Amino acid sequence: MAFDLPFLLQILKAIFQAMPLTLAIALVSCAGAFLLGFAFEILRRVNRPLGLLMRLIIDFIRSTPLLVQIYFFYYVLPYYGVVLPGVVVGGMALSIYYSGYLAEVFKAGIDTIPAGQSEAALALGLAPMDVTFRVIAPQMLRNIAAPMGNYFVSILKSTPYLAVIGVAEMMGMTLEIASSTFRYAEPMLLLGIVFFILAATMAWCVRRLEVRLMQSSKR
Amino acid sequence: MVSNDVVIAVKGLNKWYADFQALKEIDLDVMKGEQIVICGPSGSGKSTLIRCINRLESFQEGSIRVEGVADQNDLLTLRRTVGMVFQQFNLFPHLTVLRNCTLALTRARGLEKAAAEDVALSLLDRVRIREQALKYPGQLSGGQQQRVAIARALCMSPKAMLFDEPTSSLDPEMIKEVLDVMADLASDGMTMICVTHEMGFARRVADRVIFMDQGRIVEAAKPDIFFEAPRNARTRAFLHQIL
Amino acid sequence: MSFFDIFRGILEGMDVTLTVTFMGLCFAIPFGLVAGILQHFLKGASRASVTMIIEFWRSTPVLVLMFMFYYSLPTVGIYLSATLVAASTLGLHVGAYGSQSVRAALQALDRGQVEAGFALGLRRPAILWTIELPQMVRAMLPTFVNQLIQLVKGTSLVALITMSDMTHRAKEISQLTFDPPAIYSALLLAYFILLYPITIFGRWLERKVGQGSGKLMEDHGRGV
Repeated sequence: MAFDLPFLLQILKAIFQAMPLTLAIALVSCAGAFLLGFAFEILRRVNRPLGLLMRLIIDFIRSTPLLVQIYFFYYVLPYYGVVLPGVVVGGMALSIYYSGYLAEVFKAGIDTIPAGQSEAALALGLAPMDVTFRVIAPQMLRNIAAPMGNYFVSILKSTPYLAVIGVAEMMGMTLEIASSTFRYAEPMLLLGIVFFILAATMAWCVRRLEVRLMQSSKR
Repeated sequence: MVSNDVVIAVKGLNKWYADFQALKEIDLDVMKGEQIVICGPSGSGKSTLIRCINRLESFQEGSIRVEGVADQNDLLTLRRTVGMVFQQFNLFPHLTVLRNCTLALTRARGLEKAAAEDVALSLLDRVRIREQALKYPGQLSGGQQQRVAIARALCMSPKAMLFDEPTSSLDPEMIKEVLDVMADLASDGMTMICVTHEMGFARRVADRVIFMDQGRIVEAAKPDIFFEAPRNARTRAFLHQIL
Repeated sequence: MSFFDIFRGILEGMDVTLTVTFMGLCFAIPFGLVAGILQHFLKGASRASVTMIIEFWRSTPVLVLMFMFYYSLPTVGIYLSATLVAASTLGLHVGAYGSQSVRAALQALDRGQVEAGFALGLRRPAILWTIELPQMVRAMLPTFVNQLIQLVKGTSLVALITMSDMTHRAKEISQLTFDPPAIYSALLLAYFILLYPITIFGRWLERKVGQGSGKLMEDHGRGV
């Protein structure tokens, strides 16, 4: 691996050009996974048949690889005439895949709230909606902030999967350079370092948040 | 039954946690067969003192000698010579009662399993809990767990036993069964240092009662004198509070 | 090609999926245990370096790791089979996650357990081996199962370095016959059949261990 500064700079430039798209995909997917996961968990609590169905869906999502889910949407949707750009399909797949995990996080977050909380809220005459959004959800958010943050880091780390369906995020951009120059080692190494710094920074922020939440719930 | 052989000798003991001095100039000789009860308000250093004796805590100044241990820096021998019972029992939840007792015998003493179980069963018998030998700690009541913890410590045939508030986390109805076992042990001549607020037990069993406050030994006397005519005003205030 | 033919064709890749999984475990388990234990016991600079190693394997996307080693190792004269590269990168990635639950389990263990071991005159290694590890294993079983699932799912990535696992088989079949719905449904189904029992088992374990530790807490919490 000869040291070739101009080449390294060229790669770095490409990686940084692709960074906004990567972060945007991660952000949108986080929001998607959050909303979908919360919907799954609420639906699971409606009644028993629906609960079992949601559980099967969640288990299915969690029991199949993300890569395969991406392929599925990317190749099957066009077959039925739904042609979407790769970046949309990818964001969708990431949202769905991680919603399965976030639903479990929501479940744990709700389960750890003492039953007395919703009983007390209902006894005060609050509407079920208010019980959910005024009493349960705020407490739940504190419980789940840390595990949720970790999944958000995971979503960021999963964006390279989108390269396999031709999305020019950081991995896709790097692969493009690599395959056009037939030099893979340096680009991959640099990409690894950039991702490592990004993900480690985000993970550090999540830990900080966790510590602060722990302190505030002690009071 | 108290002889003149010193089993534990504490001299000029000083201990700090950073800037806070937890123990100040402690001198204490414990004779063979003697039972000592240490009481005092929380934070007075009584638990710290007995935890120093088997070196669960380190200290900065002074010395603690345990008779029969040639090298006081040999922690393993020291700890195998002195048994300890904790406030929270600290039984190993993944092991049966019997295995809790045999663990140190097989791992530290190198006994065969069968021999170790004989020892353990006879001591479980002594604390009147032999029939629970194959259960797990989680299946026992607090009082039963603490009696197992006592048997576990006795298995190593210690020269002295340290009790760190052994009844403080027990429900009231279970305190007696544990104190009875401890009293039996005392009448068999076991050398004991016991941190406790059970003053009835102290009166009945102790040869000496020690009152500690702010890291110092404030008063040490035979129980009748300690309870009837304490010399120090702080001792009086403390006894007034808890009696 | 019928759905059944496609499904059978995909299952031909199962042996690669399983091989990489088992080899991956051989990297993940020792690495997770050792790294977690070291991180718990070491201090200062040596702890920081262990943390760096763990963070490297954990924070770099696994796909990037795999490509990085697959393409970089030959340029420094190390020629490993694709299977070994895939198994080691996947295994170490999963193991790095596992190490954090090892460390957390060690930290969560009641401090009194170690003290009681000391008070009985046991050596530190004996305490780790007979008191801490057995209790940790119980608490960590659900995490272990979850990591195993992640590992199996991760093996789908070996298709990208041309190994003929189930995912790669699906792509090969798609060259022969144009029927994406059947091919990718069959592929999803194949993984689901493989992993659903493990998912269920993991959930059952979680409940069981959760109950056990709840009881433990209750006993310890009494009168404190």
